Amino acid sequence: MEETVRKIMEPILSVENLSVHFSDKPVLQDVSLSLWPGEITVIVGPSGSGKSTLLRAVNRLNELYPHCRTSGSVRLRIHGESGDVYRGFMALSELRQRVGMVFQTPAVFPFSIQKNLTLPLQVYLGVNGSTLTERMEEILRDVGLWEEVKDRLRDDATTLSGGQQQRLCIARMLALKPAVLLLDEPTASLDFKSAARIEKLLLNLKRRYGILAVSHSLAQTRRIADRVCVLREGRIVQELDHEHLRDPDAFQTIIDVAF
Amino acid sequence: MKRVSDRIVTGAAWLSGGGLMLAAAVVIGFLILRGYKNLDLALLFGDTPWQAAIMGERPVFGGIWPAFMGTFYLVFLSSAMAIPIGIASGIYLAEYASRRLRSLLGFFVDLLAGTPSIVMGLFGFTAILFLRKTLLPEAQTCLFLAAACIALLVLPYVIRITETSIEAIPEPLRLLGYSVGFTRWRNLRSVLLPLASRGMLSGAILAVGRASEDTAVILLTGVVAHAGIPGSMFDKFEALPFRIYYLAAEYRNLGELDQGFATSLVLLCISGTLFLIAVCLQKSAEMRWKRR
Amino acid sequence: MFACNGNVETFVLFRLSDKSEKWIEWILLIATCISAVAIIAILSLLVAFCLPLFTLGRIRGVLSSQWQPSGGYFGILPMCAGSLALSLLALSIAFPAAMGICTLLHVLARGVFNRFLLATVRFMTGIPTVVYGFVSVFLLVPPMREWLGAGTGFSLLTAAFTLSLLILPTIVLVLHARLEQIDPILRLASEALGLTPIQQMRHVLFPVASRGMVVAAVLGMGRAIGDTLISLMVAGNAPQFPVSLYHSIRTLTAHVALVVATDSRSMAYQSVFAAGLGLFLVTGLITLFIRKSGKAGREVRREKGF
Ligand SMILES: Nc1ncnc2c1ncn2[C@@H]1O[C@H](COP(=O)(O)OP(=O)(O)OP(=O)(O)O)[C@@H](O)[C@H]1O
Ligand SMILES: [Mg+2]
Repeated sequence: MEETVRKIMEPILSVENLSVHFSDKPVLQDVSLSLWPGEITVIVGPSGSGKSTLLRAVNRLNELYPHCRTSGSVRLRIHGESGDVYRGFMALSELRQRVGMVFQTPAVFPFSIQKNLTLPLQVYLGVNGSTLTERMEEILRDVGLWEEVKDRLRDDATTLSGGQQQRLCIARMLALKPAVLLLDEPTASLDFKSAARIEKLLLNLKRRYGILAVSHSLAQTRRIADRVCVLREGRIVQELDHEHLRDPDAFQTIIDVAF
Repeated sequence: MKRVSDRIVTGAAWLSGGGLMLAAAVVIGFLILRGYKNLDLALLFGDTPWQAAIMGERPVFGGIWPAFMGTFYLVFLSSAMAIPIGIASGIYLAEYASRRLRSLLGFFVDLLAGTPSIVMGLFGFTAILFLRKTLLPEAQTCLFLAAACIALLVLPYVIRITETSIEAIPEPLRLLGYSVGFTRWRNLRSVLLPLASRGMLSGAILAVGRASEDTAVILLTGVVAHAGIPGSMFDKFEALPFRIYYLAAEYRNLGELDQGFATSLVLLCISGTLFLIAVCLQKSAEMRWKRR
Repeated sequence: MFACNGNVETFVLFRLSDKSEKWIEWILLIATCISAVAIIAILSLLVAFCLPLFTLGRIRGVLSSQWQPSGGYFGILPMCAGSLALSLLALSIAFPAAMGICTLLHVLARGVFNRFLLATVRFMTGIPTVVYGFVSVFLLVPPMREWLGAGTGFSLLTAAFTLSLLILPTIVLVLHARLEQIDPILRLASEALGLTPIQQMRHVLFPVASRGMVVAAVLGMGRAIGDTLISLMVAGNAPQFPVSLYHSIRTLTAHVALVVATDSRSMAYQSVFAAGLGLFLVTGLITLFIRKSGKAGREVRREKGF
């Protein structure tokens, strides 16, 4: 049944034969993977295997490093239209808006909580006034932060706890109404409880967005992933789906072999 | 609409960057163009044979040799005062001073750094007035006074650079000497100062550069247009920057004007070279700790 | 360290060197105090020489608006206004330019050009002030006179252009140092939000560095007020209020230089001491402000030498 649904639906994101070099050193080689809406795909792999680089290749953030070279294609499917983001499918800033990204360490701006959320809306979408506050509340509720911060919206965002900051970053990304979410170890710097909250949030969000995440925790991967790609030395060496995820021991064995 | 404002800002940014480079190029190019033909022995010594001028057998008229020597003496004297004191202060602030003392004394250093050079000159001038009224009725502005005031002017640079180059040494190395039983001074002399020497040298060179270019201080402390080479520390003197200032206002013929351009070029080369050396030393000192 | 050694010899050595250690510390302390003594000496001498103004009740004469020594008028207010007008004008030219250059350095320009631009800025701080003045007398003054019909060409505007060139590198370097300290992840995050480089600069980087911007502006202002040579050489030195950009003005600093060089009446001298004291206090306040701005101040100190 699930299989049929997948066959009918086309992937929202498909990476094909993607290779990335940092000053002639290959970091990703021939990576292909697809992402369907309603699913969380988790990338696992040893440190330095290129997980972050893969995520940054999707929204072309690697281009910030002048010595980076990318080949292959990243096809995105939005509103029934699809195209390769490396062949001018959409303008760079629109791409970044459609493909939101959250980093390993929370990167809030050292402004007020409110300004963190409204800044991209104002600058980028030209939203203003009461629409802005409504939108802000809606998103903060989405990430479960509203109750915690509603009385201190004007406080500096850096005074929030790590987990709150990370949720604020997710909120800031959701404010731009993306279609695909890239999450680079979103719970890496968090304690168990905050991590659990974010996991729950992700399971909620996956109904509306395609999610590509990186995780270091196998337990977490098992809890949230619909599919898992194992990356080693820049190549995908294993792809797992629900079948493999169901049995913890079998999963562990496969991962052990793949690492 | 957003894009339009982006474009405008981009254009303005390139304009200001281009403007800056153009201005620098124009200043340097103009001086080279107008000044290079006069860079010869006659610029320095006028009609006097150079051997005689250097030996001090005959005075130089029309050349900038006296100004050159005046600046040299000035720089030499002020460096001799500022560099040892500055290095000692920098060491004290970096290694010895308690936090409160450091903040207090550091405040005075900052005040000194912020004091405009004309105020420093005025200080020298009032000091002479004061001396005349009290101890020395014959006191007058002179080379020594100017050098002392300039020393005060450049002192903060030496202090701060010494301080920062000692502080830039990574913690483990700073503690290395203590761990083998050195005393504080021993550790400073055999570990810290050698490691910080490059940065400290750059501070000293920078101070020399500043001392050679400052005009406002000497304007009030004893520079005069035709003093010749000072015979002692208590004589009036000439100096290159003052010569340039003087020629810009009071050149009497084209020859003197040309001399002004050539002198500017000479001064630009001197302080530019000193400055470049200082910056290179500073950079290499910084890189040393970054690479680790 | 020594206690756990327990070695008698080491202990004795330590005690022996202890004395010279103390001596060295004292010598270093005395050297450091020279800066403090100098500041106190400057302040007390200037105040002492200003005192007659108060005791003889001449202070109102100095704080008046006309300078005409032959007629017995010794007001320095025109010079105060001149200093203020010139430095504000120079700052209002230099500061936006500095922001533009920092935008180039941080988001627009890349690679070799970037490094070359920064090197040029650094090098410009090494050009002697008198050289700027000299070049501008022969390169800027004539066109000002001919094209703008600005009197003799020695004017507020001419001086402001030259002075802005002088303070520009300082402002750029302080601002640049502050921007460099911003966590690169903020740049990455704003890039990931789809902000264009200019938007990143305007909405993220500059606001984050706002304290540093204030410090840079204040520092530039301090240098502009304290500069003597530029105004002396190209502002014309007429002791009048700055009424237009094309008129000649005289700054406090130039006033000090001119009067000490030419005049010898005691009242004229006293006005000079008042001017010097005023300059000293203003720059002192600026230093105090920069220190109060804490962290930003430290960068200033580091960059100031360059
Ligand atoms: N900007 C860069 N310049 C040069 N090399 C880079 C750059 N970014 C990443 N690399 C290299 O690419 C390789 C993969 O890095 P990446 O950050 O993608 O690893 P990762 O799988 O995310 O590791 P981790 O789990 O530790 O985050 C590493 O060897 C790294 O050194
Ligand atoms: Mg990573």
